[in-house]
Amino acid sequence: MRPILAIAQTTLGEAIRRKVLLVILLIGVLLMVVAPGLGILSARSETTVLKGMMLGIIQLTSAVIAIVLTVYMIPNEIERRTIYTILSKPVQRYQFLIGKYLGAVSALAMMMGLMSGILVLVFAISQPSNRDISAIAELIKPPVMYFVQMCLLAAVGIFFSTFVAPLVNFFLAGGVYLLGSLFNPFFETLKSSTNTPPIAKFAAAMLNFLLPNFANYNVQNPIINPGQTIRNETMYYVEITGYGVLYIALLIIGGIWIFDRREV
Amino acid sequence: MSAAIETRKLTKTYKSRQLGKINVVDNLDLTVERGEIFGFLGPNGAGKTTTIKMLLGIIYPTSGEGFVLDKEIGDMDVHRMISYLPERPYYYEHMTGMELLKFYGSLFGITDQNKFKQLLEKVNLHRDLTKTIAQYSKGMQQRIGLAQSLLNDPKLLFLDEPTGGLDPIAHREIRDLILGFRDEGRTVFISSHELSEVELICDRVAIINKGVIERQGKLTDLLSGGRIGITVTGIKEQFFKDMMIGDANVRSTGTQVLLDVPEANDPNGIIDAVRTAKGQIVSVLPRRKRLEDLFVETVTNKS
Repeated sequence: MRPILAIAQTTLGEAIRRKVLLVILLIGVLLMVVAPGLGILSARSETTVLKGMMLGIIQLTSAVIAIVLTVYMIPNEIERRTIYTILSKPVQRYQFLIGKYLGAVSALAMMMGLMSGILVLVFAISQPSNRDISAIAELIKPPVMYFVQMCLLAAVGIFFSTFVAPLVNFFLAGGVYLLGSLFNPFFETLKSSTNTPPIAKFAAAMLNFLLPNFANYNVQNPIINPGQTIRNETMYYVEITGYGVLYIALLIIGGIWIFDRREV
Repeated sequence: MSAAIETRKLTKTYKSRQLGKINVVDNLDLTVERGEIFGFLGPNGAGKTTTIKMLLGIIYPTSGEGFVLDKEIGDMDVHRMISYLPERPYYYEHMTGMELLKFYGSLFGITDQNKFKQLLEKVNLHRDLTKTIAQYSKGMQQRIGLAQSLLNDPKLLFLDEPTGGLDPIAHREIRDLILGFRDEGRTVFISSHELSEVELICDRVAIINKGVIERQGKLTDLLSGGRIGITVTGIKEQFFKDMMIGDANVRSTGTQVLLDVPEANDPNGIIDAVRTAKGQIVSVLPRRKRLEDLFVETVTNKS
């Protein structure tokens, strides 16, 4: 356990100093800060639009950070030969990979925590009615779910980084995220429709099964659209978190299996 | 006591689309005795780093077997007793030397602050405690690399180009540290292109070329068979030509005759003959075969 924690800690220390990640974070934070000024352009309720906009910024910024952070993770260690000084010590490859993943997730938690803090702050300043605890808790729920989503995306990035180059991984992980976010609901519809040909139904079912369902975690819609409600919210959150944890475990196990056989 | 490293027919084959199967390391039989400094030499792409990676268990042999400190390569117990300093290593630049040692120490479960301080002192970095690795010079980075490689008090050290790209002062510092490791009873396995350095510190060497070991043995044995230069006055060139000294070069500069004879020839016999003929010996200079000559001869012959 000690090597895993040491590797995670070092990965976190490096991640929070990576300029490219800090620039992405800074852009996200700046957009969040100016967002209240843009809210007045909308005819809809200012609060609803502002929430949607800020949550969208958090999600998009976090997704870019998660991908950029993880695609370089293993290839960089090989290129810089750091991996050799680590693996020549009593460290198993699975410990190395899990340590890297936990480090990435910790960095994401820190960065997303900062953005969530700004979200609360901006609302506290611009919407004085949103200062009570329950309003803040309501506001924080989507970023928490996004965090689970980003942990899943980081696992996808780490999985691919065990066998593909960073640039290919960037498009692979990004592609999986887009498909899993935008098309999973579409595949779901296709699968259940009676008019769909059997072969298309099968393909939709396979893709729906294989691709991680990132759309599960886009919980901002029911919040900004009060008409859409989740019957048992707690149960829903537990379910999708469990799904995420299971998927992450499978991806990490797959990554370990590949990395263990890979010549570095 | 058994050898520190022993390989038998160790082979690593890579598949290439253009070239088919390539044996990067081919039936390698290598023996490194305990407590010696062993030089592993070869041109670029000869298979040196691949061999080290196999011995460290980082990559897997295609066939053959290897033992490091009596355990089969890849055994995790071996990793507690060995250490590795790769060629041009990168260390996490945001860390100070002390933080770096703490990180690598934690991989062994070592948390002893005094040990870290002692190691920094040993590699002469104890006065640079606030500097981050990014602020270190190349020599300092190499020294912190050596410090991290000593954390587990290793019995066997693998050093890949330990003096590559360093200035003469840093060269000397690293050389002294390596010689110190031998005095402490450690085995050191060095892969290097710095032949003069290797010649100075190694007990035995192996030369690998195109994945095959071409020479292996004690430096003193491999470099034996040098030549002796004898300068003589008062005797004509023809005198030596008449002596029929095998494989000798005789040259006259007018006043002096220069003889270049193999070390195997008895120089005393030549000196006696010169004295008997009333000639004078100006100088007798043994010219030892250099490792560079041996290396070039070995590699060029193969090519």
